[in-house]
Amino acid sequence: MISMLGLYRPRSTPLHAAPAWFKVLLLVTLAITTVLVSDPVTSVGIMCACVLLLASTEPPAKATLYAMLGTLAVAGLSSGLHVWRGDYARAIDVAADLIGIVALALAVTCSTSMAAMLDFVSAVARPIRFLLPPETLGLMFALMLRALPEVARLYLESRMAARARGLDRSVRAVVFPTTTRSVGFALQLGQALHARGIAEEARERRRSRRAAPPGQPSRRRRRGRAGAAVGPREGVVPPASSMSREDAFALLAGHASDARPRDPARSQP
Amino acid sequence: MIEFKDAAVVAPDSGVPILEPTSLRLTERHISIIGANGGGKSTLVRLINGLVLPSEGSVEVEGLDVARHGPKVRRIVGFLFTDPSAQLIMPTAIEDVMLSLRRTIDKKDERADAALAALEEIGLGDRADVSVNALSGGQRQLLALAGVLAVTPRILIADEPTTLLDLRWRAHVGSLLRSLPVQLIEVTHDLDSAARAERTLVIDDGGVAFDGSPIEAVAFYRDLMFGRVSRRPSA
Repeated sequence: MISMLGLYRPRSTPLHAAPAWFKVLLLVTLAITTVLVSDPVTSVGIMCACVLLLASTEPPAKATLYAMLGTLAVAGLSSGLHVWRGDYARAIDVAADLIGIVALALAVTCSTSMAAMLDFVSAVARPIRFLLPPETLGLMFALMLRALPEVARLYLESRMAARARGLDRSVRAVVFPTTTRSVGFALQLGQALHARGIAEEARERRRSRRAAPPGQPSRRRRRGRAGAAVGPREGVVPPASSMSREDAFALLAGHASDARPRDPARSQP
Repeated sequence: MIEFKDAAVVAPDSGVPILEPTSLRLTERHISIIGANGGGKSTLVRLINGLVLPSEGSVEVEGLDVARHGPKVRRIVGFLFTDPSAQLIMPTAIEDVMLSLRRTIDKKDERADAALAALEEIGLGDRADVSVNALSGGQRQLLALAGVLAVTPRILIADEPTTLLDLRWRAHVGSLLRSLPVQLIEVTHDLDSAARAERTLVIDDGGVAFDGSPIEAVAFYRDLMFGRVSRRPSA
């Protein structure tokens, strides 16, 4: 299965260099424009520009082709309906709009890393930080995207298991295990988040900002430069075995060179 | 130091005991936990970082009550799960390590550099921008470990970290875990690995069936599994 999440590739194209907010703004603006403009020539022009933009990001060929073929099929069906009714201009307009928007969305996906998108979502969510910490909203966005290929994988596995049991045509034999395993995956993911203390960090930051007395900078600002918070925690005396991140990864490096399998970066168990 | 003070866990809906009242002081650098499936091993270790809270009694980590100081305790205690897929959140390897580093490094560029350096050091540098779905099981487990170690825990709990791995990766990840300068609590079905610990607990039917030297514990566990002995109070 081709995961849409694997579309991003680090490149040095102009679209890769552009900030995430600019790309999202461009996508929204063009989407609104294509919907409002019903002139087929303009729509075809916008579509060509979007396809060129997509090509400029040097996307992974196979995944992009699959996505575009699906879009072409839908566009063909939609415009076919208008052709049948004799509205040729509308048929061209609808097909061009659809292809253009999907091509631009793919261009944005191919040129924007998840981290950049996460930062963008967090920044956009800042005005509603009283309701929801921006970091949490960004994380929700990332989790939603993370869940998509996992649910698809669970569906494929359930379908194969149903086939193996001779239940090819049973919808229940596919839907039930997919659903229950998806819930199981969500629970595991939740536990992992909890264990890594990721959402808690956002909550704590919000609390500390609230707790900062008027006129004083928040805890985050007081902490100053990046990494200043690393080290012994309040009220906890670090034991002799406490290690720095550098120490830990130096150890990992030692093992990677000494004891790892022949080529762990490429070996497939 | 980790201390269980009559900590017990009861299923909230049915009231069925999952872990009977347990008192332990875990001070050794490497402790292994073995036992049959469904015996309560995972519940026991999840009490240590507050993924499961005790219904009765308490658990303390370095003097902090887990139930009351969960976030502080989770900064001290790292947790490595059996299935790394469930632990990896971001779509690519570098972004997942960067997510862990968000807690400690504010600047995005510095975070990216630190994450890339970390990945290069564990031999995944050339996979930094690869989707986590495209990594092998062993690579995913290494990546999950990198994400945990990035926040410098002093205690590491590994819940069957090698169960899904082949022999090569099992040996690699196992030796790596044992060499880390942290207190390692390892739940495992690999009796060879369990025997390398300083202390071993055998968990059976929701309680500690044996607590002692690894060699004796493994022998006891074998006898227990084949019905040659019955469960007895901890030694």
